[in-house]
Amino acid sequence: MRKWLFFAPLAIFLAVSVFLYTGLFSDPWSRDSALLNRPMPEFDLPDLMQPQQRWNRELLTGEPFLLSVWGVWCPTCKAQLRFMTELREQGIPIIGLYYPLPVDPAFGDHFSLGQLQRDVQRELAYFGDPYQFNILDENRRLSFDLGVSGSPETFLVDADGTIRMHHVGDMNPRVWRNLFATAFEELQQAALVYQEVKP
Amino acid sequence: MSRLMLLAALFLFSTSLLAGDEILPFEDDAKRSLYQELVQQLRCPQCQNQNIAESNAVVSIDMRNKTYELVQQGYSRREVIDFMVDRYGDFVHYSPPLNPLTIWLWILPVVWLVLMAWYMLRRRQSAQTARASNPELEQELDAIIDAYRSKKS
Repeated sequence: MRKWLFFAPLAIFLAVSVFLYTGLFSDPWSRDSALLNRPMPEFDLPDLMQPQQRWNRELLTGEPFLLSVWGVWCPTCKAQLRFMTELREQGIPIIGLYYPLPVDPAFGDHFSLGQLQRDVQRELAYFGDPYQFNILDENRRLSFDLGVSGSPETFLVDADGTIRMHHVGDMNPRVWRNLFATAFEELQQAALVYQEVKP
Repeated sequence: MSRLMLLAALFLFSTSLLAGDEILPFEDDAKRSLYQELVQQLRCPQCQNQNIAESNAVVSIDMRNKTYELVQQGYSRREVIDFMVDRYGDFVHYSPPLNPLTIWLWILPVVWLVLMAWYMLRRRQSAQTARASNPELEQELDAIIDAYRSKKS
């Protein structure tokens, strides 16, 4: 008993050290998304470049794709454009969900679609364009339903329109390799099998 | 002195500048207080450890607007919280629900208390038995102490 008590402070110290040390490497942002394995929410939103074209859930489904939430105001989104353009060149469908900042009329702000289209075009021409098309998330309603807390965020959606992955933060080679690559291939295989079985 | 009093009196007028940030029209006071309670209790998913009342992150603005909208539509406190948790997870509310993980927050203190009580009880018992169990040694010790005292005096 005595001997055991003698080592107790050392044991407690070691336990606390290990606990705090692992804490150094834990990511306070990583938490399970509430949307995982749930169908993508319903929406009806315009295309960013051709506003007369409307997009909804049914139009997007059919094959697995990445849904990337971004905005020209977001520096990290700029940084990931180049790598995501590489992904597009590898044949991975990426759809942009444009996340506009709120405008406050009290400060003389107003939303100008023309200005936004020019900004987006310039940025994508400069850094690379990974997007098949962009959906303009007016009032950030779809982002809200998707549990988006900022940008960039990337969702992996399967052929049925179910959300399989929700990544908060930038897309880079490491994230793609460790989190997305295998899952995406599996979903693609599953979609092919599904299409073959379907008469 | 009177100058000092005047200065002190001036400070009395500077207290009413709290939370004048948003002026939202409500139908009745119950909805207003429900809204104010909710924005205090909902947590901003972007800027950690701020509630949505304090934070001016885009997502907090959207969450405040949504809360206002839902409260105006007559949603109850629970329904608004469920609506947010449905999108942003349990993280978004400051009081966590009871589930297999969080149950430990309630169990562990009780377990700790019971263990400590058991330990103290055992210690006291063993001390008592140790004292009572060896009368020969007690006598011997008493004899030694007596001898020491008589030698000293």
